Amino acid sequence: MDFNLIKANLNLYAVIKNLEDLTLHDKEMKELISKWNLSIQFIVRNGPKGYIEFTDGKCSVGRGKCKRPSIVLYFFSPLHLNKMFDGTANPVPLKGFSKIRFLMKDFPKLTDRLAYYLKPENDLLKNIDYLKINTIMLMNTAAFAIPEIAKENGRGKIIASHIPEGIVEMKILPDFHSLNISFSSSGIVTQKGKAVRPSAVMAMKNFKIANDFLNGKTDPFTAIASGDVMIKGNIPMLDAMSLLLDRIPEYIS
Amino acid sequence: MKSYDYKKSRSLFKKAAEVIPCGIYGHYSPSPLVPATAYPFYTAKAKGSHIWDIDGNEFIDYMCAYGPMVTGYGNRKVDEAAAKQAKLGNCVTGAPPVMVELAEYMTDIIPCADWVFFAKNGGDVTNYAVMVSRAATGRNKILMISGGYHGVSPWMQGDGHHGVMDDDKKNVIAVKWNDVAEFEKAVSENRGEIACFISSPYHHPAFGDNEFPAEGYWNKIESICRKEGIVIITDDIRAGFRLDMRGSNEYFGYKSDLICFCKAIANGYPISALAGSKELMNAASKVFYTGSYWFSAVPMAAALANLKEMKKINAPAIMIKQGRKLLDGMVSIASSYGYNLKVSGSPSMPYLRITNDPSFMLHQEWCAECTKRGAYFTSHHNWFISTVHSDKDLKRTWDIVDDAFKVIRKKYGDEF
Repeated sequence: MDFNLIKANLNLYAVIKNLEDLTLHDKEMKELISKWNLSIQFIVRNGPKGYIEFTDGKCSVGRGKCKRPSIVLYFFSPLHLNKMFDGTANPVPLKGFSKIRFLMKDFPKLTDRLAYYLKPENDLLKNIDYLKINTIMLMNTAAFAIPEIAKENGRGKIIASHIPEGIVEMKILPDFHSLNISFSSSGIVTQKGKAVRPSAVMAMKNFKIANDFLNGKTDPFTAIASGDVMIKGNIPMLDAMSLLLDRIPEYIS
Repeated sequence: MKSYDYKKSRSLFKKAAEVIPCGIYGHYSPSPLVPATAYPFYTAKAKGSHIWDIDGNEFIDYMCAYGPMVTGYGNRKVDEAAAKQAKLGNCVTGAPPVMVELAEYMTDIIPCADWVFFAKNGGDVTNYAVMVSRAATGRNKILMISGGYHGVSPWMQGDGHHGVMDDDKKNVIAVKWNDVAEFEKAVSENRGEIACFISSPYHHPAFGDNEFPAEGYWNKIESICRKEGIVIITDDIRAGFRLDMRGSNEYFGYKSDLICFCKAIANGYPISALAGSKELMNAASKVFYTGSYWFSAVPMAAALANLKEMKKINAPAIMIKQGRKLLDGMVSIASSYGYNLKVSGSPSMPYLRITNDPSFMLHQEWCAECTKRGAYFTSHHNWFISTVHSDKDLKRTWDIVDDAFKVIRKKYGDEF
């Protein structure tokens, strides 16, 4: 499968998803979007489609098309989208010319802030508030990347084909953040929140431990043995999911 | 009932994690023990069917070092034979005479064996068996059972695992256990290309119910393999000498071309063996395969003493009988608390699972509670029974099992 297509899927479906939490947990960003009422549709030729909606101070990110987008941004290829994420290309606006100012001045404040949290320097991680948001974003990106890796990456597809049906719950204790990933014959879907009856659970003791674990600073076996990361339930599901997670850095760092 | 803690184990593990990858790696890794904090990591000493961890906690050991312990830790006859040989020499220049005696003994007790080749670990001989089959047939492909385990060489590992490249797996074809039609299809689609079919005598995966061969399964497989010139390799690393002293293929009534043995051969002394038919001896002799310690005499002397003792007492029968007694009692106790404890595989190396909760979590919690009270149970892997698990051990185990069920019943009520 094409490298750029997978990377574009990850950018649009996993990285951008973090805007929801950014605007929830970062006060400045919460304030920034408080009066925004518009939606942005992303269309990538031969690639993914997704959208961002800002309504009454809330940001939501979705797959596919949204109804009546305020702005439509077109990309000629997955590579084009990826270049925009790297800051080396601009999209082609197809709709929303009256909102060019928003796109040029306001929206970048949000995306710059997202990049600030997603590309941490060690000094920044000493700030507890920063660390918390960075951890949430790391976990979101990982969990929302899983369906894409499983669907599009060659080896990922083989790994995913062996995963039994069920739900994996990933969470940071105590009730800090949780996500669940459903594996079924119809596909793999990641959602925010706890699972009602998970098949397997991966619980990280606190956000500091989670940050090190998700950043690959601690090895999973040691973290589990020491009790910093607790696993239970269908362990082969977690093993296979971990192999999928390990493939993410091939595309995004 | 008193519940153990593991302060010293945890402390030592912290040190270990600084200087050893994973702290403890491979099948001894604590990561599949759920929760890992309910288990001891380091064993200070062992005797008979018991182990003592470095915190001083005593356990009835139902993992038997994941199989190698079969006639009891510190078995006098085995250890004396080993000590006697150690005085004469262990790893020395020149092959030890005991090697011939051991090979002769194994070819005597194992009907399919006309020769025996010695190595150290199970993976040494499964890998060698595949090489021998390739040398004999001039073919590339390996047919195996999906979910089967044959060691840690790249071709044996799961798809996508670290350090395993796509090329490593390109000649491996996996089919479902007990599915003759799928087996036939795989053979038909790869006619003239399959060197061997490697399989355990019955399916004993981790994290899943174990399955005996269906009626006539092995006879059908044997028939197809003979017709197609496919070498049958029985991976008897785990089950070998726990079902039948003649090899587990005899227990299930089929002829194997190559049989891989390891765990139960020498009661913990490091040795593995590939036994084969005379038709493959020439091919085996042409494959260059060796290791620095494969001629060590002490494990060979231990193996000879252990196998003789096992044959004398009919060890598999003892383990099956004692295992069955243990399991019947446990199932009955589980039932009295409203839980269905499903047992699969041979009673001498059973796999257990509480079926009330399909997620395994209840079962994991129960195994952990048992372990914290002194019956070392894993929740992911089949257990092992030895010839020295006594009635006293069983009684104590039933008390522990009862107490652990009481704990989870109190915690979950009628939830499951």
